[in-house]
Amino acid sequence: MASRREFLQLALAASAVPLAARGVLAAPAGWADESTAPTPLYAVVFDERYPASRAFAGEAKRLGLSTRGIGGDVTRLWFDDLDRRWRQEPAAIAGLTTYGALFCLDVLARDYGMRTRFRADHYLDRAAGRVEHVMAGPAALLRDADTLMRGQAAWGRGLARVVTRHPASPAPATRLTLVARAEHTGEDPAHLVSWVISPWGPPAWAAGGGPESSLVGERAKF
Amino acid sequence: MPPLPPGVTAQQFSNALREFGSAVGPEWVLSTDEDIRTYRDAFSPFWEEAEEPIPSAAVGPNTVEQVQQVVRIANKYRIPLWAVSTGRNLGYGGAAPLNSGTIVLDLKRMNRVLEVSEENAYALVEPGVSFFDLYRDIQERGLKLMLDLPQPGWGSVMGHALDRGVGQGPYEDRFGAHCGMEVVLPSGEVMRTGMGAVPGAKSWQHNPYGFGPFVDGMFAQSNFGVVTKMGFHLLPEPEALRLVTVTAPRRDDVVPFVNTVGYLKNAGICPASFGIRSPRNDTGYWSASLKFYGPLKVIDAQWEHAQEKFSAIAGVRFQEDALYRFPLSPDAIDGIPNKNVLGIPDLAAFGQGFVRDGRPHGYGHYFFAPIIPMTGEAMLEAQDVFEQAFKQLELPGRGPVGFTGWQRRSLISLISLPVEHDTGKAQKNREAFRGLMRIAGEHGWGVYRAPVVFMPDAMEVYSYNNHALRRFHETVKDALDPNGILAPGKCGIWPRRLREAREARA
Ligand SMILES: Cc1cc2nc3c(=O)[nH]c(=O)nc-3n(C[C@H](O)[C@H](O)[C@H](O)COP(=O)(O)OP(=O)(O)OC[C@H]3O[C@@H](n4cnc5c(N)ncnc54)[C@H](O)[C@@H]3O)c2cc1C
Repeated sequence: MASRREFLQLALAASAVPLAARGVLAAPAGWADESTAPTPLYAVVFDERYPASRAFAGEAKRLGLSTRGIGGDVTRLWFDDLDRRWRQEPAAIAGLTTYGALFCLDVLARDYGMRTRFRADHYLDRAAGRVEHVMAGPAALLRDADTLMRGQAAWGRGLARVVTRHPASPAPATRLTLVARAEHTGEDPAHLVSWVISPWGPPAWAAGGGPESSLVGERAKF
Repeated sequence: MPPLPPGVTAQQFSNALREFGSAVGPEWVLSTDEDIRTYRDAFSPFWEEAEEPIPSAAVGPNTVEQVQQVVRIANKYRIPLWAVSTGRNLGYGGAAPLNSGTIVLDLKRMNRVLEVSEENAYALVEPGVSFFDLYRDIQERGLKLMLDLPQPGWGSVMGHALDRGVGQGPYEDRFGAHCGMEVVLPSGEVMRTGMGAVPGAKSWQHNPYGFGPFVDGMFAQSNFGVVTKMGFHLLPEPEALRLVTVTAPRRDDVVPFVNTVGYLKNAGICPASFGIRSPRNDTGYWSASLKFYGPLKVIDAQWEHAQEKFSAIAGVRFQEDALYRFPLSPDAIDGIPNKNVLGIPDLAAFGQGFVRDGRPHGYGHYFFAPIIPMTGEAMLEAQDVFEQAFKQLELPGRGPVGFTGWQRRSLISLISLPVEHDTGKAQKNREAFRGLMRIAGEHGWGVYRAPVVFMPDAMEVYSYNNHALRRFHETVKDALDPNGILAPGKCGIWPRRLREAREARA
């Protein structure tokens, strides 16, 4: 019987689309027990300026998810939408954006007890017509990433299929690098990131921790 | 495994964590590797190096009483605490302490807006209230008040002011805009400053001084107490805001140019913070961005007067960049690029993706920010000195391009150094940073604020009369905090028991 590592390498080798795949494949404990039930995603965030990100949103929409466009700055999305939602209850989000947008959402989400659980850096080499996907996240997800992205002319679309399968429960993480052809690069920048931020573990700070704390708007006695 | 506080055994540490848990609730004591990671400085000049300060845990109280209990437990075990309000002091240290093993006292849960007065234009807030929080509170209640903001809106009103941060409007001096504090002292006792010391005070947020010595300054950029409430004066929403740019063509114009800007600020005609840039090319050697807030008729007259004054400089050019009338509709707000000047917090500064040096993404930056006099001569001197320093320290570029007019009569000459994740490059930049600080000191300039890991170096420059000021601070420190539990070494102020560490560093 093939080991997990061999299984993964076999799966990657079988892929037609990637030019190369390098997996840093730690043998995660409890593989067989990993829950594969996907994280329910409250919203899928995309950067309206970039074709890869728009393709990502298009596919997410087709899969029945609710999408939110930004133009780089996450303020409106967070202030008018996520903050209100997360004050009620943490809810997972996924996206394909610039690193700056992820940086902000990752920091903001921590206060609601959430963490970035999947991150993929996408390095576009326009001259060579290649894109390198450097992924870190739940092993079960990365195991399927190659298959899910296979045959997708727009890599953003494949990524949408990956993030929407992010497991709901904590799972051992691993890393994987895929190199694929990128033919329709359009206005995409040299670097984008896709990610999943999901509730897990620590308590939510922003909503306050007990009866003495108040949400914004409520007046506390002092 | 996060590092232990120095001199504390694993058993003592675990007992202390249990006691902290009883005080604040066990779920608010965070000590796993994953949690600790969130308290690292994302812009650390020592990223992943042995010297990167890593906290041992974080404790999150929700009330003043809980803060008192935490401070008392820390005294019992002699465990150092590092207070943060929102801990987003990026460029100046984030949430990370100076010394590994310190416990972060995370005050984010104390996020209540306690009072906002429209009539007297002030607010009283707890540490965890961010600019976003206060903005939302004011908007939801339809109050005609405006915030004076730093670029990132996610920081705390209090933490930003306690680090003497800079806003962008007429209340730019954020510490100067505060009025009244409540402080938990290192003994665990609670004190209120200014009028707040009167039981049942009716004018705590109305007058900052009260009676007797004015001690509030001792709690900013210091390690003498944990501030748990702070009042702030707010700007009544103005009728309009006019943004303008004035350019002067020649290098030699600098003296009358800066004199005029300074006069407009000191005379209260254009009191908001401003930027002076020196692109050093044909578009104009000097360029000042000015903001006029107030009733339209008044700012029209102020702008006209400003133009008259600048017109003494041959070839000066004026450009009106924008005129905003308040209140602004949501649609109007949407299209405005720099919302901060309108008192609307945002995160646009991060939105462009950290692109740097043609690399896919950089790792952030940290700020070198010396204060120079608001005169043309001082600006030329700073340009020359730092141009030389850049060459000597092998830094790219020619030195400061921008100066921020902060406070009346002084400018910040802001230089940002990139964070590097390559140890060799990171080391080179740290040496350059220290070199800049030393060279500035040799010319009589000190920084207004410093990244945490460089705080002791920054204080070295303030050495008049054999460090009389630091010796004074340390006399106060020993009296207030004999166990040295609050932020040892912060701003170069060490408690007696750790002073040898400074000598060792030297
Ligand atoms: C792109 C960019 C733009 C920036 N623009 C600006 C700008 O325009 N103006 C500006 O001033 N800064 C600016 N900064 C720097 C910094 O990010 C902000 O000043 C930020 O608001 C400070 O973080 P904070 O409010 O979370 O403070 P915190 O990190 O919570 O605290 C700041 C300091 O105060 C101390 N402190 C906090 N709370 C307490 C307390 N209750 N009792 C005792 N001590 C306490 C902390 O120990 C720390 O030293 C910028 C940074 C970046 C990266």
